[in-house]
Amino acid sequence: MKCKKITGLLMALVVLFGALTGCASDGSNADRKVVVGAAMPVFDDKWLSYLYDAMKDGAKDKNVDLKMVDAKNDSSKQLSQVEKFATEGVDVIVVCPVDTAAVKPMVNVAKQANIPIVIVNRIPPKDVMKDVDSYVGSESIKGGIIQMEEVAKILNNKGNVAIMTGQLGHEAQVKRTVGNKEVIQKHPDMQIILEGTAKWQRAEGIQLMENWLQSGKKIDAVVANNDEMAIGAIKALKEAGKLDETVVAGVDGTPDALKYVKSGDLDVSVFQDPVGQGKGAIDTAVKLAKGEKLKDKMVWIPYELITKRNVQEFEERWDVYNKNKSN
Amino acid sequence: MGEEILLEMKDISKEFPGVKALDKIQLTVKKGTVHALMGENGAGKSTLMKILFGIYSGSGTISFKGEELKLSGPKDALKKGISMIHQELNPIPEMTVAENIFLGREPVYGKTGWVNKKKLVQQTAELFETLNIPIDPTTKMKDLTIASMQMVEIAMAVSHSADLIIMDEPTSAITDKEVKYLFEIIRSLKSKGVAIIYISHKMDEVFRICDEITVLRDGQYIGTKRTDELDHDSLTQMMVGREIKQVFHKEPAEIKEVILSVKNLSKEGKFKNISFEVRKGEILGIAGLMGAGRTEVIESIFGVDPPTSGEIYLCGKPIKIKHPSDAIRHKIGLLTEDRKLTGAFLPLSVKENMIMSGMNKFLNFGFVNGGKVKQSCVSMVEKLNIKTPNLNKLIMNLSGGNQQKVLLARWLLNDPDLLILDEPTRGVDVGAKAEIHKLMCKLAQEGKAIIMISSEMPEILGMSDRILVMHEGHFKGELSREEANQERILQIAFQ
Amino acid sequence: MKNQQTIEKQAPVNGRVRVDWKEKGSEVVSRYGIFLIFLGMVALMSILTPHFFTYFNLINVVRQVSFIGIVAMGVTFVIITKGIDLSSGSVIALVSVMAASFAQGGHSLVVPILIGLGIGALTGLINGTIATKGMIPPFIATLGMMTAARGMALLYSNGRPIGNLTDSFLFMGSGDLLGLPFPIIMFLVMGLISHLLLNNTKFGKSTYAIGGNEQAARICGINVDRHLILVYTYAGFLTGIAALMLTARISAGQPSMGVMYELDAIAAAVIGGTSLTGGIGTIPGTMIGALIIGVLNNGLDLMNVSSYWQQILKGIIIVTAVLIDSRKNRKS
Repeated sequence: MKCKKITGLLMALVVLFGALTGCASDGSNADRKVVVGAAMPVFDDKWLSYLYDAMKDGAKDKNVDLKMVDAKNDSSKQLSQVEKFATEGVDVIVVCPVDTAAVKPMVNVAKQANIPIVIVNRIPPKDVMKDVDSYVGSESIKGGIIQMEEVAKILNNKGNVAIMTGQLGHEAQVKRTVGNKEVIQKHPDMQIILEGTAKWQRAEGIQLMENWLQSGKKIDAVVANNDEMAIGAIKALKEAGKLDETVVAGVDGTPDALKYVKSGDLDVSVFQDPVGQGKGAIDTAVKLAKGEKLKDKMVWIPYELITKRNVQEFEERWDVYNKNKSN
Repeated sequence: MGEEILLEMKDISKEFPGVKALDKIQLTVKKGTVHALMGENGAGKSTLMKILFGIYSGSGTISFKGEELKLSGPKDALKKGISMIHQELNPIPEMTVAENIFLGREPVYGKTGWVNKKKLVQQTAELFETLNIPIDPTTKMKDLTIASMQMVEIAMAVSHSADLIIMDEPTSAITDKEVKYLFEIIRSLKSKGVAIIYISHKMDEVFRICDEITVLRDGQYIGTKRTDELDHDSLTQMMVGREIKQVFHKEPAEIKEVILSVKNLSKEGKFKNISFEVRKGEILGIAGLMGAGRTEVIESIFGVDPPTSGEIYLCGKPIKIKHPSDAIRHKIGLLTEDRKLTGAFLPLSVKENMIMSGMNKFLNFGFVNGGKVKQSCVSMVEKLNIKTPNLNKLIMNLSGGNQQKVLLARWLLNDPDLLILDEPTRGVDVGAKAEIHKLMCKLAQEGKAIIMISSEMPEILGMSDRILVMHEGHFKGELSREEANQERILQIAFQ
Repeated sequence: MKNQQTIEKQAPVNGRVRVDWKEKGSEVVSRYGIFLIFLGMVALMSILTPHFFTYFNLINVVRQVSFIGIVAMGVTFVIITKGIDLSSGSVIALVSVMAASFAQGGHSLVVPILIGLGIGALTGLINGTIATKGMIPPFIATLGMMTAARGMALLYSNGRPIGNLTDSFLFMGSGDLLGLPFPIIMFLVMGLISHLLLNNTKFGKSTYAIGGNEQAARICGINVDRHLILVYTYAGFLTGIAALMLTARISAGQPSMGVMYELDAIAAAVIGGTSLTGGIGTIPGTMIGALIIGVLNNGLDLMNVSSYWQQILKGIIIVTAVLIDSRKNRKS
């Protein structure tokens, strides 16, 4: 504990020194580039890769010097990366946490170095949030609510629901499931008859669904924490010839999933907007760097419901996005 | 002293799946005496001692110091005053001698759990002083010779200040000089009233140090006698159950043409300029001390570790052996020195152990022909008198002698022209030893050539037609059967 | 026949062994112990839930384990040689994305299959070569492959799934042959082939020999390095088969596929009696080991046991099964 304080103090000194020298050059160049240090959880994740790209695009537009690093899903590595940003004296630190429970020390480092910190995509607990300058993201719980409300609508507010959850303990798994359950509680004729994890994986989704189909229970809807598992469930249902009588819902709105929505196999998905979150993170960071006041500390990028009716719109969004990316 | 009974084991029985290891064994040991436990390998000595030391449980009753003894394990045995020197050494090589000796009971500072290293070394040094052992307590175990390790093991057993010490083959790895030390230690323990159970194959040692002898055979109790009532022959008879007049009985064989000749074989740092030849029908002995380079030479010939220079001729033709498979193809077989390390496949069955070096001849369209295998193995079991309930028994459940026979069978199945035997009877009981010797004679009579390495002088002298003496990587000389004796061999080695 | 009689008659005379029914019984237990545990589990599940012991569900269970079961067969070979293969899960991912990219139409079915099997075998070849020629412990060599193959899979696929696979390719995952799902047929066929290979050929005997005592194996004329390379290659080849079927089953090549499969495969082998100390293990044992894991997953899902509890129970049952097995081995 003592040790931490000392390193914190040293760091503050370094930052101060950096700031002083920085000030000297500032005078000559009033419109200098804002430097943003972005600590990201893992580079090889499909959905996050869209978010990273959006951040890079946003940085280009706003003339921001973006330093993005990969924590390879290791919390302690992420902390040391944040410490490094603090010593380097970046203007703002943006963190997409590996583990929301491990955000507190990172926030402390930023506070001590007097650098604003923005958390993106994964929301840390309340007591940590009070020290965070801004959160940009969607509320996982909302995703679960939107998803379940649509399912309830399709089922006319009654029926048996099976919930397929992601890797146990992940924030998205916990919150999306809580959102699902909140909705179900409002409808007395709906009940959860099965709940199990398929670890975000399609192959596991198939297996779990196969087992559930043998359980002899009547399943009216399968609500999965992500699209991949929902697709797995669709495969198993199709094979058993029960897809028509079962509603399947996922979250994410990946290009792959949109195809299933279009064909009518996947009834519901919820779009979590990586581009909105990435751009929002950079916008907020720039505002904080320039000392502008934020209208609201919480920058919510809304979830959007995807059904067969509006799937076209989302496909176009991906198309545009992918085209931009390849340019 | 010597009449008070310390230990009484009554009707001890122990069964392993497939083998009745002990059948109603009796053993009574008096205070302040040395009691020998004798028997061939597999007779049940080690099993009995493991029961006494709490490693195994068995049926029957044990009374120790007048009370019934029920042990929960070796730790309990130590606490109650029984310690044991094991046949196989179990040192922790990276730790010092002192740490090994006081492992698990190191002196600590107060109640902190911090090891008091100074005291540890001091206690060890004191212990060594009383035992007259010249080893520095701070050397690492891995830097000791085998003999020194054995001495440390002995010191460890003594350090428990037990009333009864079991010594399972304590002299198997030490030299005569150290045996003398050991006997001094034993005598001084005796005078303090400690009793010792002494297990050894070496009869002269037993006659020198022991007061009483109990003999086991095939898991049965044969009898207990005072040492002065017995001599070599009568003891052997008790152990084997039949009279063995001469252990090394060499039958003459016709010696024919040269089969293998080796010219100027060298391996850097191991041996230099080795030249010799061996003929059909001949048993060529290679004598020398451990570490003389004998094993290295024959392993080199066999392709385990090919030589850096020199030539090998088979029936006059030069051959290249780069891998054991080349040697096998040229009909050479090698029974290695260390059964456990380089010989037996311990987790595999007797059958599999036998066929491993010559599988090709059992193949039908790439598949192993079970019938053929069985037929060959059964004939080997009969020919070599291997004691096994069936061919699927795991080799590790056999006694040392039978394991060795299985490994011999492995090579005999290849019908080799030249058989290299490295310490063929090490760790083998008297009965099996005689059988192996008989077999060697028979093989020579069939016209096979045999090269035998042995550290046992009587074996070398008794079995060889010709003896090569090796010392520090060189062949120092050659003796014919007639001119060879122990003195001359040593003379040549050290000249 | 005649010979057998001689030896059985001879044994008691020489070997102080009496034929003993108690001993026979314990031999049966030690030989078929894991099979009995498996039957016990099946019985237990059948009692606990009426939906377990139905034709469709049993087929379902076997199909689910056939993928991991085939991987575990290769792992069994490797473990018998005293090695380990940590790369199987990642190799599944690599094979999956590469084969899928050639199964989107425009190629004959043979192309993705050859590529899948080839890549699988190649990774095994590399594992074996690094471990033997580089003298690096297999744990490290295959750990390297585990990391690298996953990276290659992500790189090749750009981190995204590869879909739109041809129907003929999908048959490998969902098709029926002779009234049984194709993966089950492959599970049984590869099980039979692997069993014969391990038990009845020189290759198999040498595998046991190397695990039992590598030095002794060399002295028996076995080319240890070459053999080990072949063993790892065979394991990679089997992983390739499993990867192709799994890709077809989920109808997409995915770089995230097969995470932790290596540990499931190792668990199946070990539950099935394969010893990490080398020289011990059988293919039927491993198949049973895989089935035990499958029955457990399925039964707990059927009973809707909470996912938290499922993990705890699985851990306990895996360790218990092996514990019972090793207890019985220790006795003998």
